[in-house]
Amino acid sequence: MRAIIEPPPEPGAPLAPLAQRLAWFFGLAFAAAAATAVVAYLLKALLR
Amino acid sequence: MHFDALLLSRLQFAFTIAFHIIFPSFTIGLASFLAVLEGLWLATRNEAFKVLYLFWVKIFAISFGMGVVTGVVMSYEIGTNWSVYATLVAPVIGPLLAFEVLAAFFLEASFLGVMLFGWKKVGPRLHFAATCLVALGTLISAFWIISANSWMQDPSGYVRMADGTLRATDWGQVIFSPTFPVRFGHMVLAAYLTTALVVGAASAWRLLKDHEEDESCLALKMAIGMFAIVAPLQLLVGDASGKEVLRVQPAKLAAIEAFWDTRRAEAFHVVAWPDEATETNRWEVAIPKLGSLITAGRVDAEIKGLKDFAPADRPPVAVVFWAFRVMVGLGLGMIGLGAWGAFRVWRGGLPDDRWLLRACVAMGPAGFISVVAGWTVAEVGRQPFVVYGVLRTAEAVSPVTTGEVSVSLIAFMAIYALIFGFGALYILRLMAAGPLAGAEAPVPAMPRPPGYALAAAPVEPEERS
Repeated sequence: MRAIIEPPPEPGAPLAPLAQRLAWFFGLAFAAAAATAVVAYLLKALLR
Repeated sequence: MHFDALLLSRLQFAFTIAFHIIFPSFTIGLASFLAVLEGLWLATRNEAFKVLYLFWVKIFAISFGMGVVTGVVMSYEIGTNWSVYATLVAPVIGPLLAFEVLAAFFLEASFLGVMLFGWKKVGPRLHFAATCLVALGTLISAFWIISANSWMQDPSGYVRMADGTLRATDWGQVIFSPTFPVRFGHMVLAAYLTTALVVGAASAWRLLKDHEEDESCLALKMAIGMFAIVAPLQLLVGDASGKEVLRVQPAKLAAIEAFWDTRRAEAFHVVAWPDEATETNRWEVAIPKLGSLITAGRVDAEIKGLKDFAPADRPPVAVVFWAFRVMVGLGLGMIGLGAWGAFRVWRGGLPDDRWLLRACVAMGPAGFISVVAGWTVAEVGRQPFVVYGVLRTAEAVSPVTTGEVSVSLIAFMAIYALIFGFGALYILRLMAAGPLAGAEAPVPAMPRPPGYALAAAPVEPEERS
């Protein structure tokens, strides 16, 4: 089964170009912040 | 004791905040621990650091999620149960809490996504940057919460308007109120200690099962190193915090030490049974003159007793007195455990000292208990004020009925018991399984087929198709 939490790349494995890695970096960050915001707004709706 | 809307609202806030503080006090330390593990893995490429990172990051993610859920509820609770407080104090406190949420959202929550799902996608260095940003986010989050709370303990840099609302006149004084630096240091060290004790307990548990598990031995050494250094340091910072309490909240200090009369060369009450009705200690075990020395730094110092304050301005004494002793007692236990562990690391044989391992397991929850006890001292000791000397708790409560608060309190208790029960159970199961449970098991060597020239040599895993 594929691990949910991603392990580091194998030693010597080629890295993607920096632009692509930065796109993942900020894309994942934005998605995670959005997921937390959804939880917060759901709780807010529940408590109203 | 009359259970009116005020008392029930206080109980509800105390209940929710006591549950909530468990998670940030763990994740603040754990985020820094993860950053250290990843940094050490990058620097040394020692696989044990990677295995430990991948193990503890799972526990961090669950704890962080539970911290968010229990924390978000509290901000709504201020609106539902403490709306008068919110109306009067929001112009000062609101921005501080908003900055806390921004820090928590934009650093912790955002980059947690990269930490969990992005190692291969962003590469090792950007991933390490994400881990450090999350660790920084937890510290910034703590900064704003302690800033807001320190202002409530010792308000400055504000003015009261004609309609009763408070407005900031000097944001520097609001954010950096006089007690803030030492209280922030006290909280961050408490968080680091809490995490070290949990890491130590989980690692010791694994070593009791398998004393050759190198990863757990390494984690236990790191934990012991942390509480051997931080626990004595915390004693000094805690003492400085106590001196600040004497200066700004003498009634709280008198309750902490169960001092009823103002006198010089006051004794230190090791244990006592304070009785508010008779304004005495029913019984006590005391060390002469030590009370003045500990609280004021001089044996002959005069310390104000509770009788110098009107009964309406005194905090509940027994709760504050005993909560303080629980905190300090466990803190001394941590210092002892640190010294014992450091001695064993120095002399060798750490994984085989089963009594030390058992002590580490037993002290696992001590950080959480100390943090809750410490916050009990801080918050119950501030009573009967919500903003010390400015706004009484009784004046800050919402116009809600006893029935309404009872229903919401019971609902909170049921939901929190469910969330906390499942969350804690899952985390404990992960910890009990240990860091190698999710790692790839080493493939056992297979015998060579008969007739092969090197039949006696086993096939190495890499040679298999």
